[in-house]
Amino acid sequence: MKAKNLASLLVLFLLVLSGCKNQKAGDTASTKVSQEQNMKYATGFNITTYEDYTLLTVTQAWPGSDKTFQYVLLKQGQKLPDSISADAEIEIPVKSIVVTSTTHIPALEMLQVENSLKGFPNLDYISSPKTRSLITKNKIEELGQNESLNTESAINLNPDVVVSFGVEGENKAISSLHRAGIPVLYNGDWTENTPLGQAEWIKFFGALYDKTELADSIFSQIETKYLSLKEKAATAQENPTVISGALFKDVWYLPKGDSWAAKLVEDAHADYLYKNTEGTGSAALSIEEVLNTAQNANFWIAPNSFESFSEMASANTAYTKFKAFEDKKIYSFAAAKGETGGMLYYELASSRPDWVLEDLVAILHPQLIPNHQSHFYTQLED
Amino acid sequence: MNSTPSHSILSTKKLAVGYGKAEKETVVNAINLDLKAGSFVTMVGINGSGKSTLLRTLAGLQEPLEGEMYLEGKPLNTFDSETRSLKISVVLTGQLISKNLTVLELVSLGRQPYTNWLGKLTEEDKTEIQKAIIATELVSLKNKPCYALSDGQLQRALIARALAQNTEVILLDEPTTHLDLHHKASIFSLLKKIAKQQNKTILCTTHDIELVLSLCDEMIVLHQNTAIQNTPEALIEQGIFDNLFPGTNIYFDSQSRRFLIR
Amino acid sequence: MKTSRNHSLKFTLLGGGILILLLLNIALGSVYIPFSAIIKVIFGDDSIREAWTYIILDYRIPKALAAIMTGSGLAVAGLMMQTLFKNPLAGPFVLGISSGASLGVAFFFLGGSALGLTALLQVHGWGTIIAASIGSFAVLSIVIIVAARVRDAMALLIIGLMFGSLTSAVVSILAYFSPAEDLKRYMFWSFGSLGDISWSALGILSLCYFIGIALAFSITKNLNSLLLGDHYAQTLGVSLQRSRFIILISTSILAGSLTAFVGPIAFVGLAVPHLIRQWFTASNHWTLLPACILGGAVLMLFCDIISQLPGLPITLPVNAITSLIGAPIVIWLLIRKKKLLF
Repeated sequence: MKAKNLASLLVLFLLVLSGCKNQKAGDTASTKVSQEQNMKYATGFNITTYEDYTLLTVTQAWPGSDKTFQYVLLKQGQKLPDSISADAEIEIPVKSIVVTSTTHIPALEMLQVENSLKGFPNLDYISSPKTRSLITKNKIEELGQNESLNTESAINLNPDVVVSFGVEGENKAISSLHRAGIPVLYNGDWTENTPLGQAEWIKFFGALYDKTELADSIFSQIETKYLSLKEKAATAQENPTVISGALFKDVWYLPKGDSWAAKLVEDAHADYLYKNTEGTGSAALSIEEVLNTAQNANFWIAPNSFESFSEMASANTAYTKFKAFEDKKIYSFAAAKGETGGMLYYELASSRPDWVLEDLVAILHPQLIPNHQSHFYTQLED
Repeated sequence: MNSTPSHSILSTKKLAVGYGKAEKETVVNAINLDLKAGSFVTMVGINGSGKSTLLRTLAGLQEPLEGEMYLEGKPLNTFDSETRSLKISVVLTGQLISKNLTVLELVSLGRQPYTNWLGKLTEEDKTEIQKAIIATELVSLKNKPCYALSDGQLQRALIARALAQNTEVILLDEPTTHLDLHHKASIFSLLKKIAKQQNKTILCTTHDIELVLSLCDEMIVLHQNTAIQNTPEALIEQGIFDNLFPGTNIYFDSQSRRFLIR
Repeated sequence: MKTSRNHSLKFTLLGGGILILLLLNIALGSVYIPFSAIIKVIFGDDSIREAWTYIILDYRIPKALAAIMTGSGLAVAGLMMQTLFKNPLAGPFVLGISSGASLGVAFFFLGGSALGLTALLQVHGWGTIIAASIGSFAVLSIVIIVAARVRDAMALLIIGLMFGSLTSAVVSILAYFSPAEDLKRYMFWSFGSLGDISWSALGILSLCYFIGIALAFSITKNLNSLLLGDHYAQTLGVSLQRSRFIILISTSILAGSLTAFVGPIAFVGLAVPHLIRQWFTASNHWTLLPACILGGAVLMLFCDIISQLPGLPITLPVNAITSLIGAPIVIWLLIRKKKLLF
């Protein structure tokens, strides 16, 4: 008994000691917090503005990550206090940027800073016409293919900051950039599980460009639109059943119940037949299981990359057994492509969940939104 | 037949050779041999009598099942393989793995036990190599790759390699198979000459019993799982050759000292 | 065994080749940097753009050194394997070393979260290296244990091939259940990459490389004896067990460390010994070993230059280039000479 007490006292003592240490670090720097910006929906990052610097903290660079990244943003004239150690130090507003995911492009455009984008890997993936026009004018350099960022080209470009989607483990090229002294920031927007949570990452970019107010107001508009659509959908009488996904080889992949896609269907006031599966990734199921559960689903949303009913029928006759196939109530975003074949949905959906929701509500409850111009989803062709 | 009392080099006591660890399959047992310096000894027996097995055991390539072997009076297993390589060299049957070697390179490999870790050849090494090549009449062929040699030439090259190793014992396993009579004769004469002139102990297995009868100092006959060592004359007198081969269609004629078919 | 005189010319050619290709390798890349700037940077001139200085000193030069070590290390390992197993089809990976490394990396990329491995491997930038090393080392340990129990080298060869199959099977299962992004990252690792190696990583790789090469040199005399076969080698005083052990350790260190740091590089270890043997028409390992070191370095430097596709923003996986370039050369040589010297 006594030993146990002693042990817990020791632990307590150590905790207090370490707490004291941290406090010291805060003491020498100005503890005066000008603004603590807690995110409303996003759980992967937050921004705290101090008198002498701004701290951008990313807690969820990749799913399940337990590593927190602290990025310090300094306006001109500000200097980082010696006691603070950061994973990167960036002078804001950023003048030149490299991003590695198309999901970062809409934020840049909405903040009207797309001209600062100097390089991107796989330029063909970008769909947005505004940025594409920059590409045609050779203002954005091609920085490689697949996982490999072309190290030499990226270093030669010497951007103020590189924003990369977080990757578990490591990426050799990113390590090289670190060593070359180029700040690399991890953007974990894709790890958020709520539609508004993902969209809120526009504030991440807002902080980098010292356009916090603009970012806040843009997000506010998106949030308002989204919530009002959700309210509207809730008034619908019907609660249609929904299935998603399709076969890849022998396995049917569809979003699990806690995923971003499932939440959207729920907010559109529909019954996603796999809403009770736990987890945020994809479920791998057999065709028998899906037929058994979902053969009579009213709607089929996002059947992988199929664009026409005939394509689906020739891929697998099992698809034709679904009621949604017979009723031709299958809707996909695959047809919305950019000039060079990039998927608009992958680029824009996470930033504009209000548009995705609008599409879904228009499909599931057409009477609520007559004359809707679809943003992403269209019915499959014949 | 004067047997000059000479130094016993390689001897065995109650040696049994064969295969298998758990289940021992003895091929020949109760072998008592005594090989002297400067003697050319041949080992004969029908196919499967255990000649190769015994030879490989003597060379240290196989473990004996029972009994002891002595080299220079000391038990053979007290010699580590490096020291043993200075005392015993072999010429074996079977394919040479790397036929890309030139004759000179092949013979030079006989000096490996003598060279340093870099394998550098000293003047002495080069002399021994040269001697071996001259003794086997390969001077004109020394830069030819082995794949371009005839069977007889290759056999001489392998013997030259063993000669270059300059050991007091040379064990050869059927060195004259596939050779014509002329080459057989020249190899046996060469071996006898080496034994006498360089005072080496040469033991070779062979099927050419008639050829070596008049050449070798002693013969070891493997018959019905036993080994008998004696001079050819004594063996003929004792009628050992009468029952060497099974069946009745071959008999030994002691007059002409030849095997005849009935 | 003597080294004949005209080998000096060939060695000079190889040496010259390395120097020229090394310069070219540093001079060419995705970004155009004028040669004068490169010279200035190497001689410590501060006036050159920082980005270029970094690219030359911290990207291209480590890459070139990695290429030299990879080519020569794999060639030496392949040579030893071919002599030990008396098999012209043997290469540095017949023992299953790179399969073990691949398995380690597969667990890291494809199964890591499931096995809680990634917490261990959060050492930034060293994850795949550590995972690959653990995998290689595991296979090496098993190989050593097995080698002590088998008499025949052939059995070891077959066991090594079996390991390769086993680990490939496990990787297939892991891949089958993995999402596309993880698979892509694993596949990308398997393409091999000489670039993006830090000086500290290069340091550790160099240490392993020199140990492996030193061991190889120490066993060169016995490799010559092994040319005659196990029996003759034994009567020449070679301890088969000890020689086999040193050869296995040397090969594993070279193949294992190289795979861990640059990924599995195909073809070089198998082909360079053959190319050298055909060109030098030699069997003496005192000629073959240094020649393989030089020849392997030349081939790898050349393939790396090609894979960088100078002037274009894209690069090709170096693994594919080594086979694309090397295989036709071997075929051409064999057709010309009509006889495999082995």
